[in-house]
Amino acid sequence: MTALLAIEHLSIAFGGLQVVQDLSFTVPKGRATALIGPNGAGKTTVFNLVSGVYSPTGGRILLAGRDITALPSRQRIRHGIARSFQNVRLMDHLSVVENLLVGQHATTRGLRDLLVPFRLVPNHRWRREAIDALAEAGLAAYADAGVGGLPYGIRKRVDLVRATLSGASLLMLDEPAAGLNPTETNALRDHLALLRGRGVTLLVVEHDMQFVGEVCEHVVVLDFGQKLAEGTLAQVQRDERVRAAYLGQAA
Amino acid sequence: MTGYQSGLLVILCFNVIAAYAVYLPMAAGQLNLGVAGFMATGAYAAAYLTNEAGWSIGAAVPAGGACAGLLALLVAVPILRTQGIYLALATFALGQVIAAIFLNLDVVGGAAGYPVSAYAGPGAVFAATAAILAAMLLLSRTRFALYLTAIKSDPVVTDLMGVNVRAVQVGALTLGAVIGGLGGGLYGHHFSFVEAQHFNVALSIFTVLYVLLGGVQTVWGPLVGGAFFTLLPEVLRAGGGWRYVLFALLIIGVMALRPQGLVTAGAHWRPRRRAASRAPSRTSGHPGPETRLSTEVSGS
Amino acid sequence: MIAQQLVNGLMLGAIYVLVAVSFTLSIGILNFLNFSIPGLFMVGGMVTWILIGKGLHWGLAILGAVAAAGLVALAVERLSYRRSQAREPEVPLVSSLGFLVLLENLALVGAGSDQQAFPALVPDFNLRIGGLVVGGAQLVSLAVALTLVVAISVVLSRTSLGRQVRSIAESRETAVILGIDVGRLVPGIFILSAVFTALGGVLFALNYLQVSPFMGEGVGFKGVAAMILGGMGSIWGAVAGGLLIGLTEVLSITYLGADVVNVTVYGLLLAVMVLRPQGLFGRPPAREKL
Repeated sequence: MTALLAIEHLSIAFGGLQVVQDLSFTVPKGRATALIGPNGAGKTTVFNLVSGVYSPTGGRILLAGRDITALPSRQRIRHGIARSFQNVRLMDHLSVVENLLVGQHATTRGLRDLLVPFRLVPNHRWRREAIDALAEAGLAAYADAGVGGLPYGIRKRVDLVRATLSGASLLMLDEPAAGLNPTETNALRDHLALLRGRGVTLLVVEHDMQFVGEVCEHVVVLDFGQKLAEGTLAQVQRDERVRAAYLGQAA
Repeated sequence: MTGYQSGLLVILCFNVIAAYAVYLPMAAGQLNLGVAGFMATGAYAAAYLTNEAGWSIGAAVPAGGACAGLLALLVAVPILRTQGIYLALATFALGQVIAAIFLNLDVVGGAAGYPVSAYAGPGAVFAATAAILAAMLLLSRTRFALYLTAIKSDPVVTDLMGVNVRAVQVGALTLGAVIGGLGGGLYGHHFSFVEAQHFNVALSIFTVLYVLLGGVQTVWGPLVGGAFFTLLPEVLRAGGGWRYVLFALLIIGVMALRPQGLVTAGAHWRPRRRAASRAPSRTSGHPGPETRLSTEVSGS
Repeated sequence: MIAQQLVNGLMLGAIYVLVAVSFTLSIGILNFLNFSIPGLFMVGGMVTWILIGKGLHWGLAILGAVAAAGLVALAVERLSYRRSQAREPEVPLVSSLGFLVLLENLALVGAGSDQQAFPALVPDFNLRIGGLVVGGAQLVSLAVALTLVVAISVVLSRTSLGRQVRSIAESRETAVILGIDVGRLVPGIFILSAVFTALGGVLFALNYLQVSPFMGEGVGFKGVAAMILGGMGSIWGAVAGGLLIGLTEVLSITYLGADVVNVTVYGLLLAVMVLRPQGLFGRPPAREKL
């Protein structure tokens, strides 16, 4: 089992506060890995480090064996890392399909693609691909809607579709099921299964343990920026320190 | 067409060209408060080329646009390090410096102004404006235009999508400057005179004013804003000295009641009928970038 | 000779200081680039001139002008600032520009475009220190500007009112949660900003003995430059920026010629913005977070 993503001794501090500390774990290729832990454990910070929004104060990030720690955030998507956002960040000035067209950027090349007035062409390949991806997620009806007025669950899933359109091999999903109703959660699960069928590797931050159990074979538990445990969901749930961390938060 | 009408139409053309110069960077959320500086650069460069180097107008005006673009490219990189209001004020300072430099440049007449011997008639102005408008409409159907709006909405996410945000912004500012320079070059050749005093802060700021009045959501906004701005004072002419008072009240009123501008996305301006579904999101007013980011910090 | 120019530069700078402080209050606390400020500056000078012309005592005339500026500022708050909360950031800026156009053209209709002679209110006396000559009006300007700036600085840093204002600057939402009456403090900030600007206009009239509908533009835009130079949102930065712009202007006129003023003043500004965007005393802009 080869690792697609390897985090090695990663650390970052904000104003003296050590948010991630000497963290190491790997994300196996073609599998779904969950990153779980109490609030404030540093999960989103790990996403921000891997996607390049933050630079670590120490440690390395390897993608398919290649060190990408110093790679600018912009270039990471072309190397195969795409992500969704905890608090859905769609571009509110654009329609759904326009958001997806931006998500396709990593698959385009050069000035010609940038400057061709493709939206004069009815049913252009780019638009078709975006609508197909939307249809796979069962959202084709929303193609030309403005994103601002859409229900939260739809926005959330459009955010996911946008990430898939980059053709990335690693999808990082930040709480994809949060705020979805049961029907939407089912549709999300089917959609993720479809993506995995194409060999996409998943790294998922999620609080819903049932969802984690159904989707992810591998679980990494984080607390105070450090790795607490690793294994299958059943294994980590039996771990004393993991229970203490979650109970400690509940108290 | 009477002389008055064609004269008014020419002014309208110059206003519309200037509006697109401001519109391009503004579509990406960059406020350019120094467009007059780029127009001055184009005007003086083109006039110098026809006067002293014997170029034809057809070659000199585009060359003037290129000079303005080159200048924008040179300053864009350091200026775009700043963001938001800083960027707006940096362009403001730049516009002031450029106009002041031309005011002191004796090769082109200094404070006395610079007469231009070659003449571009109203027909040439109309043709050039139509060409610029056509180019803008084509550009609005490209990925480049899409990325401008994406950057305005959320620069951080646009960057994560792999778009080179800085390059697109530099491109928008530069292309805007080229258009401003073209407009300036035409202006000098139409009125046979270039004076630095014309390209002042008021020109820059008024141009921004009518772009926002038209609205930046669609490529038609600057055209409508420019037309509105040119024609309304004429309509109000009967008001005498009061017409600009009425005009100012109208600006304040429009901004208070319809801050998204006169022309918005949706309705019949777009080829596909999507007005019904997007209308609510457009009128409800979305939270500005600051508010949106501040809610985001809590996640960890 | 150069010492005399330095003195003149500082005196001119005192007027820029008032305008720059006004801009910096608006930007620093409300994040609003209020382009009606040059108009309020003109209101300060013009309304004083009009009221004196109507036979009012100069003290009352100044009071009337400041009150007029305050009223206009309240209108700006209502129509430009409050109406466009949480929308496109350019909208309040454009709307406040509308107010500048409005005020200038109202003055134009009322008084014509000519420069009007402003009566010499400060007795024509000169203070001589060594070889330096300081005019009476200049002294008054410096004293008024310094007093106002020290007062606002003390109020902001030492009083509970100041703490409330600063908490609005930090985060409007938090201020509301803390129970601070934002709805009343914000108009107060607009009035304060108008008082500074209008008095700047009065001092300008006292020094140069003339007023006109467009007197606010040149000074107002240099006030913006002074604010950026010092660092947006910093009161003492605005002071330093104002004095520096005044010095640069006077020294350029003396040694390089009047036409070069905009090259040096705005060139200095541009250089600072490129090398140190946060200005001399400003904090570096906060980095965006996800």
